[in-house]
Amino acid sequence: MISEQKYWNPVLETLDHEKIRKLQFEKFKKIFSWAYERSRFHRGLYERAGIKPGDIRSFEDIRRIPTVEKSMMRGIQRKDPFPYGDALCVPLEEVSEFRQTSGTTGQPVYQADTWQDWEWWSESWAYILWAQGYRPKDRVFIPFGYNVFVAFWAGHYAVEKIGAEVVPGGVLDTKARILKIQELRCTAMMATPTYVLGMADTAKGMGIDPRSLGIRKITCAGEPGASIPSTKKRMEEAWGARVYDHAGATEIGAWCFECKAQPGGLHVNQAFFLAEIQDVESGEYIEEPGRRGKLIITALDRQAQPCIRFDSKDIAEWASSPCSCGRTFRLIKGGVVGRADDITKVKGVLLAPSAIEEVVRSIDGLADEFEVIIDKTGDIDRITLKVEILKNREGERKLIEAKLKDQLRLKTNLGYNLEFYDYGCLPRYEVKARRFKDLREKNKW
Amino acid sequence: MAKNIDLKELDGKIQLMKKTAQELKQMGEDFPALYRNINRILASIKMLELNISDLTAI
Repeated sequence: MISEQKYWNPVLETLDHEKIRKLQFEKFKKIFSWAYERSRFHRGLYERAGIKPGDIRSFEDIRRIPTVEKSMMRGIQRKDPFPYGDALCVPLEEVSEFRQTSGTTGQPVYQADTWQDWEWWSESWAYILWAQGYRPKDRVFIPFGYNVFVAFWAGHYAVEKIGAEVVPGGVLDTKARILKIQELRCTAMMATPTYVLGMADTAKGMGIDPRSLGIRKITCAGEPGASIPSTKKRMEEAWGARVYDHAGATEIGAWCFECKAQPGGLHVNQAFFLAEIQDVESGEYIEEPGRRGKLIITALDRQAQPCIRFDSKDIAEWASSPCSCGRTFRLIKGGVVGRADDITKVKGVLLAPSAIEEVVRSIDGLADEFEVIIDKTGDIDRITLKVEILKNREGERKLIEAKLKDQLRLKTNLGYNLEFYDYGCLPRYEVKARRFKDLREKNKW
Repeated sequence: MAKNIDLKELDGKIQLMKKTAQELKQMGEDFPALYRNINRILASIKMLELNISDLTAI
């Protein structure tokens, strides 16, 4: 029976390390040549670096190839072939999908895909869903209008590809979505962590226990919450479901995922992607576990607008042990722990917003929402953390405050100006939350 | 289970499908319903190559 099979691809997902490396190397050479021969942007970049396809004879040669950053893509787009510009590797009439980045860090980047690329997107997602236990009998609710953003579109088509049933829940409001899940007895859901928690709150407000709705698997996208243990725990407890993370990006693809074993990390789909971790300061490439660096990712099979050595700015480290699920795809420990863009120096200490989230969500008596504001009083950095106390827990405020202060000091080595609010006073978000506000002049590492 | 899979045999059949699809595509250049549907089939065949055929070369 297909449904009883553990792996989407029993060969690729259990391939030994040497063979995976060989496969990646062969594929890398092909995609590099493809881009070199067809894209003026890529050819120019590589010619300036003095590298041509025949020069790639080893992994060390790959590391000599310049990386591509989002800002470079912004610079070449909105020109002919419109709107993608010189990175396009196929005639415009072969492009069947337009998507764009969310523009969180600046002007959105446009992404062209052919139909083959689109098959590839849903194929990458099929690996994710199968590993997380989705099977043809599942009815999967997606509570979003997908708009021009790729993640839930790809998830949608992957649900179809694995043979399950997909219910697109766009246009409806949150209450109507909850009623639709109840009416159709959906078994799984895909959403941002912010929305997973928000929906649970709304359901409770309607007198519905989210655990009674029958959702048993939730796949998160868009934010790192499902890899933050305290946020994951809150989501799992609220819904009575297993919550799984994955990481992807419009320019890259869905490149890593958590499996059913929930090993405290994400598997890189090494058959489709080459992920390199580079020390941010020394530039050295990190192969061993325990050292954090930024991820440079290549999509090995993407045609229309290739993604070759893309500097994702995501921060990660390799895990030390293999996963009990049997997949040989390498694990990154704790998922993507932050973005180089987001990690900021406060009072001389490096601070990742995810560390604050981990603390707030681990404290019983605090609601899910919070807000962090960094500014200056004179020359001194100040961090204000706004939190909400749950209804009926106001009497424990002093105890909660002491616990919060201790944990923040322990996990982030910083002191905070704490502000407490009644439940429901802080802003709520539907898709991606913006809880971290740095009002100082840029002070990123 | 993976040990029982004959990748070469699978690849042989995939290449046969690909060849047939490519021939049909050539025959369908003035026949949109044939040409466009074959194009989709070729994209699916490419996924079979990524999952299976690429492995026969390593």
